[in-house]
Amino acid sequence: MVSHRELLEGLLSEEKLGFCNNCGSCTASCPMARVIPEVYNPRSLLQRVNLDFDRLIEGEELWLCAWCYRCTERCPQGIQPTEVFLLTRNFASERGNIPDNPRTIMRRIVETGRSNPYNEFIDEYREENGLPPIGPTISQKALEEQRRIMGEDFIRRIEG
Amino acid sequence: MREYALYTGCVAPTREIGYEMSVRKVMEALGVELKQVDDFNCCMPACLVHSVDYTRGLALTSRNLCIAEELGLPLFTLCSSCFGNLSRAKHLLDEYPDIRRDVNEILGEVDKGYKGEAQVEHVVTVLHNEITLDGLRGRITEPLRGINAAPFYGCHIFLPQKYAGFDDPEFPDKLDALIGVTGAQNVDYHEKTSCCIGCGSFFGEVSEGASVLLAETILDSAKEGGADCIVTTCPFCIMQLELGQLRLREKGKEYDLPIIHYVDLLGLSMGMEPEELGMDLRRIDTELLLEKIGG
Repeated sequence: MVSHRELLEGLLSEEKLGFCNNCGSCTASCPMARVIPEVYNPRSLLQRVNLDFDRLIEGEELWLCAWCYRCTERCPQGIQPTEVFLLTRNFASERGNIPDNPRTIMRRIVETGRSNPYNEFIDEYREENGLPPIGPTISQKALEEQRRIMGEDFIRRIEG
Repeated sequence: MREYALYTGCVAPTREIGYEMSVRKVMEALGVELKQVDDFNCCMPACLVHSVDYTRGLALTSRNLCIAEELGLPLFTLCSSCFGNLSRAKHLLDEYPDIRRDVNEILGEVDKGYKGEAQVEHVVTVLHNEITLDGLRGRITEPLRGINAAPFYGCHIFLPQKYAGFDDPEFPDKLDALIGVTGAQNVDYHEKTSCCIGCGSFFGEVSEGASVLLAETILDSAKEGGADCIVTTCPFCIMQLELGQLRLREKGKEYDLPIIHYVDLLGLSMGMEPEELGMDLRRIDTELLLEKIGG
């Protein structure tokens, strides 16, 4: 099986990262950079993936990408910053660097199979409005298969 | 009768119940059968789960594709992020044999495997591509003349083009065309193809604050364009733009701009009652909009 490093090198190679012309199309297209430019800048982030990897994966900036794909759609060099950032987060996660909020949501996915919280009022409300109940978790079979697909490493990273 | 496997995702059935009601009601009227499937798991948003483990994340997402293949039915997603995430997994597994091999090796542990046959659809792609504009025109009994509707495309329904494959990535116009069918007037405004930052809003205070800042810009722009409502393709966009308004209300800024989904608009133009479409369950009151439509 290929490792993430190999995936990063194959699908999105470091040589490819070197193709970046520093044109700024990514930053100009980015909704996050538009409203918090002092905090988030995908152009500089992309440079840091190539040149400052070890420090980058220690920080939280990497986790601010809103995953909208505008930069990926527009990059004239076909670099796919969105996918690069997702892959780079794998290395941060491997070292236990997952910010608290994403960790909380993913713990919920591990436990219930859903990203949104459930409480009994949801099914009462659904019933009042003629919708079928969803129950506190996805089906037991789905939950069990999900756990097996995630594997121990994944769950350990989430549980931290 | 067209049949699909209903993939509700997490947002619609827990936080956007009115939207789920609306989809079910409108699709039933259009002769679209939505099969209830209890075996799906979460789409596993790439911004979260694939960020922890790219390959296992893809395997978790793809488990849903395998179930659709077993059922022999296309997936019918309610949320643009589910659509985007499942389309992305399909694209990566179809285009990269080594990724498919690795993902199938993991899926083999639960006796599943992706064959390359799954189809991923979304409420809006089905309406536009399957029912078609002409097919919809024949169903409109109460054209919504006199209201200005501001289309809000969101992201994953059309970005990136290679995953979504639905609309032009720079100048999308299919939601505009769909709104046109209902008789409502389209609002052309600056933020039409902006992002709600929903998928980036849950990483902490900084990103939550960012989503409110962008919501303010989007709402200002739609108001300036004369919008009576914003029409989205995605329940997450509805939630963000409604919650954004509640936050901005705390800061003394009132918009009272209803945020609805395209199926709500379509249902109204097909003569359905607002309550059947869950429009009384919205966080931002839709009464003024409905009065305008009624008058």
